[in-house]
Amino acid sequence: MKVTVDRALCQDHGQCAIAAPDVFRMDDDGKLVYEPNPDDSLRDEVEEAADVCPVQAILIGD
Amino acid sequence: MTMQSTVQSPDQAPFLDVADPAFSVSSEAVMEARRRSWYARTSYGLAILRYKEVSALLKDRRLTQGSAKWPERNGVHGGPFAEWWSKTLLNLEGEDHHRIRRLLNPAFSPRLIAGLTDRFQALANELVDAFHDRGRCEFIKEFAEPYAARVLAIMLGIPESEWERMSNMSNRLSLALGVTIKENIDTIHDALAGLYAYADELISDRRANPGDDFVTRLVMASRDGDRLSDAELRNAIVLLIFGGMDTTKHQLGLALHTFIQHPDQWQLLAERPELGRAAVEEVMRVNPTTTWVTREAAEDFEFQGLHIKAGTTIHLFNEAAGTDPEAVPDPGFDITAERPPHFAFGGGMHHCLGHFVARSDMSVALPLLARRLRNPRIDGEVESLPRSGNTGFVSLPIAFTPAA
Repeated sequence: MKVTVDRALCQDHGQCAIAAPDVFRMDDDGKLVYEPNPDDSLRDEVEEAADVCPVQAILIGD
Repeated sequence: MTMQSTVQSPDQAPFLDVADPAFSVSSEAVMEARRRSWYARTSYGLAILRYKEVSALLKDRRLTQGSAKWPERNGVHGGPFAEWWSKTLLNLEGEDHHRIRRLLNPAFSPRLIAGLTDRFQALANELVDAFHDRGRCEFIKEFAEPYAARVLAIMLGIPESEWERMSNMSNRLSLALGVTIKENIDTIHDALAGLYAYADELISDRRANPGDDFVTRLVMASRDGDRLSDAELRNAIVLLIFGGMDTTKHQLGLALHTFIQHPDQWQLLAERPELGRAAVEEVMRVNPTTTWVTREAAEDFEFQGLHIKAGTTIHLFNEAAGTDPEAVPDPGFDITAERPPHFAFGGGMHHCLGHFVARSDMSVALPLLARRLRNPRIDGEVESLPRSGNTGFVSLPIAFTPAA
């Protein structure tokens, strides 16, 4: 699965890191870091992260 | 010697008396303080005035949501309200917060809320029908309050005719946000008990008769084998009512008031209903019901040369940030303009849980109102809350030219 975050939209709220901590996390400066090619077994939590993103900045590809 | 544009020592920073009921976040004093400095000292702690710093501190992990100690600071120690307050998502931190948030989030999915817009539209039309031909109304009582309350009824799957009872309980619970919380505590506890009974009834009904609705989704919510307990469910349902009622009601009143001052924008919204979403964002940038977001320093830290002590209350002035000329050089109100995101829904891990609902219901209501209530103007005595903390109108009588 391919994950892309639109950095122009992302505001580093960190909701994705709460929803899918295996794929998204906030670094020490509060900036988002994420795994762009997570395992397919994590699809549910990645979809939830994309869903809850307040600015809808997460795109999921195959 | 060069002039410094920003003062760095707390002694030189501007002072804002935010506890004064006459204080206004939109005042010249705030604008002047923002020109001088990115922060001000206040009667409670610090106020952050500029966009860049509000944005950064809103998401800074060294700050916690600052309302947890509210009851205690106002003389309420223990009891049902303090107990509920301490367990609400608003006041949880760390993994306790994340666990509840993960379980609640899916019920607030924007995809599920998108399915409700037809009902929001029908509701808005029904409310307008009741006063439309008169050419005047008291906008808060006849539209904003029933709209906010019945949207919640739709979400919760309870009869919309119940809205007045629910609204009444919520209004009484909201007394807890005032500094008079202690003298009102019996009323607050009575309202909380009523809302608990309401929530318990809903939970047991949906357990017995699951449907395709919001409360069923909460009841069924599970994540990694974990579920919400009945106490957590009831707490969350009361928070939804408490958090969704006054905010939506007041934001709608503030929105109409802003548009009354910008008739060309109201006309434009009537002609181009697709601007509904942008209208909500633009109104919340310049005239938010939540004028500041409260945080508390969890530890001692340095921020832009300022030493902030653990326990300091920090008010992030999101309205001042939204009109900061550094971030928004054009000071006007324009629903077609590209704007940086506002912070009227807060931000970071405590970002408003219900914002997709609020954005959706208001972006349905505003263009519909613009189309049907032409040329709105103030028509009588306007009564408003102080322009600080959570603000809005108690009463907003308007006259308008009816249109189909």
